[in-house]
Amino acid sequence: MSLLEISRLDVDLPLSGSLIASRRRISILADINLRLARGETLGLVGESGSGKTTLARAILGLQSISGGNLAFDGVGLRTAADFAAIRRRIAMMFQDAQASLSPRMSVGSLITEPLVIHRVPMPDRRAKALQLLAQVGLPAPIAGRYPHELSGGQARWVGVARALALEPALVIADEPTAGLDVSVQAEILNLMSDLKDRMGLSYLIITHNLSLVRHIADQIAVMYLGRLVETGPTAAVFARPLHPYSTSLIAAEPQPDPRKRRADLAIKGEIPSVLRRPGGCEFHTRCISATSRCRAEVPALRAIEPGRMARCHYAGAL
Amino acid sequence: MSSAVDGHGGARGIAPVLRALLRDPMGAMGLLLVLVFVAMALFAPLVAPADPLAINVVNKFQSPSLSHWAGTDQLGRDLLSRIIWGARVALGIAVTTVVVAGAVGLILGLVAGYGPRWLDAILVLLFDAMSSLPMIMFALAVITVVGPGTDTLILVVVLVSIPGYARLIRAQTLSLRDSDFIQAERAMGASSGRIILLHLLPNVVGPLVVLLSMDIPVIIMLEAGLSYLNLGVRPPAPSWGNILYDGYTSLRSAPSMVIVAGVPLVLATLGFTFLGEGLRDALDPRLQLRVPR
Amino acid sequence: MTALLEIEDLSLRYHVAGGTLLALRHVSLTARAGEVLGIMGESGCGKSSLAAASIALLARNAEVTGGVVRYRGHDILRMSAEEQRQLRGRHIAMIFQDPMTAFNPVLRIGEQLVDFQHHLAGLSRSDRRARALAQLQRVGIADADLCLRRYPHELSGGMRQRAAIAAALLMSPDVLVADEPTTALDVTMEAQIIHLLRELQADYQGAVIVVTHHLGVIAELCDRVAVMYAGEVVEEGPVDDIYHAPQHPYTRALLACDPAAIHDLVHRLPTIGGQLPDLMAPPVGCSFAPRCPLVEPRCRSEAPPRVHLGPDRMALCHAVSV
Repeated sequence: MSLLEISRLDVDLPLSGSLIASRRRISILADINLRLARGETLGLVGESGSGKTTLARAILGLQSISGGNLAFDGVGLRTAADFAAIRRRIAMMFQDAQASLSPRMSVGSLITEPLVIHRVPMPDRRAKALQLLAQVGLPAPIAGRYPHELSGGQARWVGVARALALEPALVIADEPTAGLDVSVQAEILNLMSDLKDRMGLSYLIITHNLSLVRHIADQIAVMYLGRLVETGPTAAVFARPLHPYSTSLIAAEPQPDPRKRRADLAIKGEIPSVLRRPGGCEFHTRCISATSRCRAEVPALRAIEPGRMARCHYAGAL
Repeated sequence: MSSAVDGHGGARGIAPVLRALLRDPMGAMGLLLVLVFVAMALFAPLVAPADPLAINVVNKFQSPSLSHWAGTDQLGRDLLSRIIWGARVALGIAVTTVVVAGAVGLILGLVAGYGPRWLDAILVLLFDAMSSLPMIMFALAVITVVGPGTDTLILVVVLVSIPGYARLIRAQTLSLRDSDFIQAERAMGASSGRIILLHLLPNVVGPLVVLLSMDIPVIIMLEAGLSYLNLGVRPPAPSWGNILYDGYTSLRSAPSMVIVAGVPLVLATLGFTFLGEGLRDALDPRLQLRVPR
Repeated sequence: MTALLEIEDLSLRYHVAGGTLLALRHVSLTARAGEVLGIMGESGCGKSSLAAASIALLARNAEVTGGVVRYRGHDILRMSAEEQRQLRGRHIAMIFQDPMTAFNPVLRIGEQLVDFQHHLAGLSRSDRRARALAQLQRVGIADADLCLRRYPHELSGGMRQRAAIAAALLMSPDVLVADEPTTALDVTMEAQIIHLLRELQADYQGAVIVVTHHLGVIAELCDRVAVMYAGEVVEEGPVDDIYHAPQHPYTRALLACDPAAIHDLVHRLPTIGGQLPDLMAPPVGCSFAPRCPLVEPRCRSEAPPRVHLGPDRMALCHAVSV
């Protein structure tokens, strides 16, 4: 049984923010189907407007869904009570680590707060805080500091420490390496790997950093404008991407090697606004191989090979 | 609370804020003046050289001298003592008003900002209604009905001040409501109560404190004004406004009385204003020198 | 090639609560015409301070304790504020990480681009507008005319950065400094901006300085690279040498731990252990000694020498020899 199962998930948001529900709604996510097995790491890849953060919030119950189903460990998640029951077992690491820490609480209080909220007995709060800090390799004096006194990397570690406080089954990491120096990225990745082995964690990693995904994710799901465009095992997708967007993402990453400068780009144009979705295949405005069929007909997400799906009329043929 | 693990009370604690305040000459002077008046108010019975109500008509209208540092008024009462006791009245009323109005405003603002939309709509309507009443007219109306006095004064000023504070807190709360750390708390399963008390309150209270300390001189002035009009503190109780009134009526006999009455008023107002400004600067993290990244 | 911007032995410190922070220590670099110089380093290495110094835009609490920054021979840090102002935008231009900060949010792009050209004498308003339009087209903005009429917040991040690049190039500056030009952009937009910068640079006669922590961006854009650590330039050389034959232990460690460089899936990535030295009290010997795999006793007590390995090739290390 999967740890996390998402089927046909839709999320719409009303356009205006008035008290009375507005009729116009924009689709942020549509027809999302994902499955995360226990002990697995799934990389959710996409750029701005892909809806990946909305998806994370929906899984945590912070965003109401307009259609589809969510299930965690076999239990359906529908009401606030359902989400409250599983909150202990899913933890989130936020993109802006420092902003996710309450500014007027000390680090020690922050990382032990989940235990207080869920009324887990804690005979010595200070000792627990130090233990959690040690788990992520932070020195004891950090417990007395406040979020604004931490560096970006330290804030990130504190976020990890807090996420692990209740020994969750699933950790959702939203851009865990955003804004971090390369050396710190490597440390975070190593830590995440270690923790996965030691604590049997499953990860849902949301990122646009493909090198990260390549090193830590078993499965990858590529999103564009709130739709899944490709899913499959990481190694296979990188070796031979089936969707042109996946191809361009992989090609777009600047390589740290002056001998591998790209001569041409596999993509053009900008990400369209979700308010004005292109017709047909939504990627056609940027796809260098777009045909008239692409402009007119919406492709379905279909299995191209066992375990690999893509939403493209010409998947695998390009 | 946040002091559970390490003993600190707030984001940076009181000490660094105090240090920042003292570094600013205006803030330091404000703090000094305020402390002087607070001491005056608290220790009035010990500090006042004479009984402020002791009438000794023989000694009326004396200029400042060694036995009466500020002179005497038209009934021979020692002015310095009256001023010192007057501080107790002025500060007592102002601080009580500001604390009560601030507390109520804080609660209402938090609820309006974080609670359900419909509750917010109702509260905002309430605030608008309350603040459409002009303060002086409202005060005069209530005084006419209930009669003048310290309690009436406090009631009026509290009611009129609440909407301003509540709106400030509401605005702050609204802006923090969708911030990452509040989302993180919700993601962890924190209850609304916990979020409001532990995470929103400490982060919105800063600007409110500054506003409160800036309003104290306004209320001191208001009380003085109303007492001057004989609508506030009833004589013979000493109030800076009363002393000012007595000074005005006795202008030809003892011109120094008006000045003597005016000086503490001006100094107290200045002191609180400087303190408020100094606090605002001290609490503003952007003004702290940082290394550009 | 003419040296347009010369930084000689520059040392800079900041006055902060608690003391002084030495942000730059004896930094020397040269930006030449027709060349792209990359300044590579992680947080705290001083690259942002260096970028600010190159455009004479130092913070209030910054103090230059030694060295000079020369533009065409003139010491720009010791000029009057007015002279520095004349220099900025016209001779030395900067592209920022956040393109929003380049523009005034309440004015349309067109008005601003026309206004930027006020230095240029003898041009009518319509001439200036035409130049602005041409420049916007040059940076790949399709509806340049429409863009001129837009406000900054109406443009997407990528378009704003393009417009910022257009604005920077409008005055044909001799030196262009790009501070983290693509860090705030999506990956596919980043690729397009890099592509654009490469195209523009082919025709550009001036010097370009790119400051970033992104190893890939440096590799894509730069001809020469200076690697910074803890306020010092620890290695300098042609881009291919730096990436394929790095001499300084820090450069080697940095390149080794970049996840993008490692193509096979490895379970553990190499890291650089330890932390940055305290810049309020930098160590006596080599700043990198506590974290260096090649450390010797003299590294902790003696400052490392500047070893010249060739023209424009340098490493600041005891362990490196010619």
